[in-house]
Amino acid sequence: MSAQREAKASVLLCGEVRTCLLQHSQSLAGDEAVKLLRLRADEQVRSSERPNPYAVSPDVLTGVDCRLPTVSGAKVRAVGTVTARAALTEGRVLQSSAWFEAPATGPEQRQPWSHYLARPGVVEPFGKLPDRAVADGLLAGPREPGELDLGAIAERLLGSVLRHPSLDQRAPFKSRRTRLRWAALRALDGEGPSIESFTVAEEGLRTAELRLPEGMGAAAAAALCEDLALHDWLLTTLVRMVERSRLGSVDGRDAVRALRPAVDHLMHLWMPGARLDPSLGPLWEVLEREPGFTRQWQSMVQRIRDQLALQAIPLQRDALSVH
Amino acid sequence: MTETTATGASAGPATAAATGVAGVVFREMSAEPRTQAVPLAHVSLELGHLYMEDFEGGPERMRSHFAQVRPWADALRASAALDGRRPRISTCFLIDDYFSRFSSPAELVPMVIAEADRAGLTIDYLARESGCAVADGVPVAEDVAGRLVDSPPLGSDGSRPPAKETGWLANGDRALGAETLEAMAHTPSWRPPAETAARRHSVFVDVELRDDREGHRTWSCPFLAAVWHLARLGLLRHGGDPVLQPRNWSGTEFPRQWDDLPPLIRLNPSAQPFSAYRTCSVLPARFLPVEHAVRVILDQVDADPEALRQAVKRAADERISVPDEIPDRISYAFYAGT
Repeated sequence: MSAQREAKASVLLCGEVRTCLLQHSQSLAGDEAVKLLRLRADEQVRSSERPNPYAVSPDVLTGVDCRLPTVSGAKVRAVGTVTARAALTEGRVLQSSAWFEAPATGPEQRQPWSHYLARPGVVEPFGKLPDRAVADGLLAGPREPGELDLGAIAERLLGSVLRHPSLDQRAPFKSRRTRLRWAALRALDGEGPSIESFTVAEEGLRTAELRLPEGMGAAAAAALCEDLALHDWLLTTLVRMVERSRLGSVDGRDAVRALRPAVDHLMHLWMPGARLDPSLGPLWEVLEREPGFTRQWQSMVQRIRDQLALQAIPLQRDALSVH
Repeated sequence: MTETTATGASAGPATAAATGVAGVVFREMSAEPRTQAVPLAHVSLELGHLYMEDFEGGPERMRSHFAQVRPWADALRASAALDGRRPRISTCFLIDDYFSRFSSPAELVPMVIAEADRAGLTIDYLARESGCAVADGVPVAEDVAGRLVDSPPLGSDGSRPPAKETGWLANGDRALGAETLEAMAHTPSWRPPAETAARRHSVFVDVELRDDREGHRTWSCPFLAAVWHLARLGLLRHGGDPVLQPRNWSGTEFPRQWDDLPPLIRLNPSAQPFSAYRTCSVLPARFLPVEHAVRVILDQVDADPEALRQAVKRAADERISVPDEIPDRISYAFYAGT
């Protein structure tokens, strides 16, 4: 694929992922998920059942010709296409993702558009790319109109999928969207992939900074970041649900009622690294050590299960006493 | 190497094959869509389009057309053989049955074949223009329209939705109209359109892709011609399957109704493949504006990346270079006349 051919030359990979609950009362079965994500009639939706149900839309391109955000204030015009796709995990969690990769230098003037379409997902700078300044600028987000806005592309795609007529707009519980912005510079020669930082900011914003070896394509990096975003959303949502249930301080039955959606819809979704490029697996291990995503998840899940077990005892006694 | 079969992968056609060699043990076919390849010649040479007005000119008109085409066809063969190899060239001819229905295949096709033959030309493949809109139930034109990625004017930062909903496609930034100017206070005067990839001065083109009247969508001639070029470049797929594929037509009898003729037929059983690395069309000069519009459209088509890759790879295996950009794969000879 031409994108892979270009991947060798790219020095910066960036993207943004939006994650939310599918606004539908039931989780979608495999064929319904395929219908939902058929963004183009002529192209297949990739779907998979192992190790968990997952479907992903065809890639769609958005043309851009604008300035790249930089922390230094340097003005860098860039032209190309941003790749976007939507994915549904377990028929329940919807994600949209937009990303691009950029080479160290690009032509000094705009080329015929077919030049850019032959390099899908590549955005070329006019002249030299200040990769560090742009990576930081993209992580900080667009500061003024006219700067590349990956979030807008991801948001528009998410919105269009959420408006699909097959969805009944009745989500089984309340949850918030999260946004993950990510940027990756190339690793030093001979070094493997690494995660430099993962930051949980306010209002559902997370940022991740990576280093990836040369030759690792943007699609693999985007898949990693979608996986990070998915599990961060699960954890965030479960934590908030437990908080709202006021577990331990109210009548146990109310808490059970409040936590029921977690059992029905969330607790089986935890599966870090399910479809990752094997070389990116070690990055998850880093996050498992610090802050320990899975440790926190298991602790929450155990707490919910204990509560359910506790409540089951008087319930059984009540049930027996009826007879 | 080991081979296993999927155990209970229930999603449709999901099966698993295992090869320890590649390090991939478990695979799901539905997770790895395949794009079927098509056979490819070196050049697809178009010997003409036939419209109602040509038909009205009678066999003489066809005779003079093919007489004009012949030297160009010879020149193309000579130029394709420059590197000493024997070029694989297939020829095709397109008849309009979309914008106007005239005559019948039974009457028209033998006449076209005979007149080409008189000029020493063989028509390998014959297509109906309506096959570029819908072929064998596949909405080809709609599919291609869904793959348009608008060339972004300067300032496109991703926040604006694409403008393709309008049914028009431009090669640049449109002029600001009077209404827009009135809405924007303090805008002094008219602002001209600008071609995005202009070399100082613009040649701005705005192409109408379709119209919708009385609930019926009609694709424009340039849009169907763009689909025609994509078919000839072997770049059309629907769900990974090739569309507008030729069917053999043996014998000299043709149906009375256009709808009874397959959208694309192979008239010459020993013809080279219909699709090719490159296309060349020999047309009268009146087609120049249409073909300019075709290039504006093809410049903005995001064709199936796997189909593109297959053509590039097959060509590389033959030590032929094929440009990545679709418009660079098509060429023309325009002869004087209408």
